[in-house]
Amino acid sequence: MIQRIANIAVLLLAALLCYGMQTTKPHYADLTAPIPVYGKIGETIQARTFDIAVDKVVFARTLKFDRFGQKKLLTTGGIWAIVTARLDARDRSAMVAAATWQGPDGLNYRASERTSLAAGALPVALDPGVAGRTRLVFEILPSQAADALLLVSGKLAGPLDSEARVALGAVALQADGVPEGTIETYELSDAF
Amino acid sequence: MSIAAQPIDETGNERTPAERRWWLRSLLALIVLVPAALAVMSYEDIRELLRNRDFFAKDVAWGNKARFGGSDWQLTDLRAALGRADIPPEVVPVLVDLTVTVGETDLQSLWLSCRIMLIDGTGRRWLPTAAVSFRQTDDAMTCNSAIFSGAKGGDVLKIRETFLVPKDATATIRPAVGVASERPGFLLFQRPQN
Repeated sequence: MIQRIANIAVLLLAALLCYGMQTTKPHYADLTAPIPVYGKIGETIQARTFDIAVDKVVFARTLKFDRFGQKKLLTTGGIWAIVTARLDARDRSAMVAAATWQGPDGLNYRASERTSLAAGALPVALDPGVAGRTRLVFEILPSQAADALLLVSGKLAGPLDSEARVALGAVALQADGVPEGTIETYELSDAF
Repeated sequence: MSIAAQPIDETGNERTPAERRWWLRSLLALIVLVPAALAVMSYEDIRELLRNRDFFAKDVAWGNKARFGGSDWQLTDLRAALGRADIPPEVVPVLVDLTVTVGETDLQSLWLSCRIMLIDGTGRRWLPTAAVSFRQTDDAMTCNSAIFSGAKGGDVLKIRETFLVPKDATATIRPAVGVASERPGFLLFQRPQN
C-alpha cells in the first residue's frame, strides 16, 4: 500500500516537474538571441565582425536632404536623432546592416527608411584596415531621447551573433520637451 | 550467496547471471552509441559549416592553371589602380584579373556562392567592393555574372574583381577563389613574379 502511494507521489512530482520546465522554457528566439556587447558613447566597442565607436548624437526638428538632385525637407511629429559613428571591419570584410534606437521606456525605433538613400546610411560594407563611417537617422519621440541605447548589428536578424549596445547617455530636456541643443534643420550632406 | 552481495532489481528479485551480463553489455554499448548518435545528428550541420568556409588553401604557382569547380583557373594580373581623387591616400584600389577556361559547364551548381578574396600575410581577408568601380572592357565579368553568362565548354572567361585594401597590406596580399562545390578547399594564388 505504502509502495503504491509512494509511486503515485513520484508520478505526480514528475508531472509537476515536467509542467514547470515546459512553462519556464525560454522561447527559441530568446535562446538564439543576439549576444550583446555593451559600451558607452565615445568608446570603441568590439563586436564579432566589426568595431564601432559612436562620435556624437545630434537632435533636429527637420532634415534637409538632396534626393536625386531634388531638395527635400523631411518633417516629423517627433524629432530626428542623427548618430554618427566610426566603423572598422575586424579581420575580414563585413557588413553592418541594422541599427535600433532603444528609448528609456523600451520603445524601439529602427533606423529611418525615409533617409535610406543618404550618404552613410545602412547597410555599410567594411573592409579590414579601411576606416568606415555611418550616419544613422532615427525618427523618435522626444521623451525617448535621454538615456537611450543604440543597438547595432551586422545583419537584420543575427541569431547568436554579437550586437553592439551603446549607451548614449543623459540628455537634458527643454521646457517644450525636446532635448537641449536641438537644432532646427540638419543637412544630410555627402560629407559627415 | 547472501542477499547483501547480490544486486537487487526494483521488483525485489535477484538478478540472474544472464541479466547481469546483458546489463554490462548495454552499459558498454552506450559508450559507443552515445558518441555515434551525436556524430550522426551533427553530421549535416558540420558539413553545412564546412561548405560555407574557405579552410584549406591549395597553392597555385604564378602562371599555372589549377582545376577548380570543373574549370581551369589562372591568375593573370594583380595590380593597384592609383590616381583616384575620390579615395583617401591610405587606401588602394586593387584589381584582380583571372582567366578561366570553362570545363564542365554547369556553372550554376559548380560555382555556386563563388567568392574571390584577397588574403594578406596576417590572414586578413577582403571581399570585392562596390564602393569604387572602373571602366571595363566589354568581355570582363565578375565571378557571379560569369555563372549566368551561359558559357560553353572551352570558353575562356575574363573575370575581374575590385578591392579596397589599406596600403600596408598591398605588399603581402594574394588572390584566392572559393566555390561551394569545392569548399572547404580554396585556391590561393601566388603573387605575380615580375
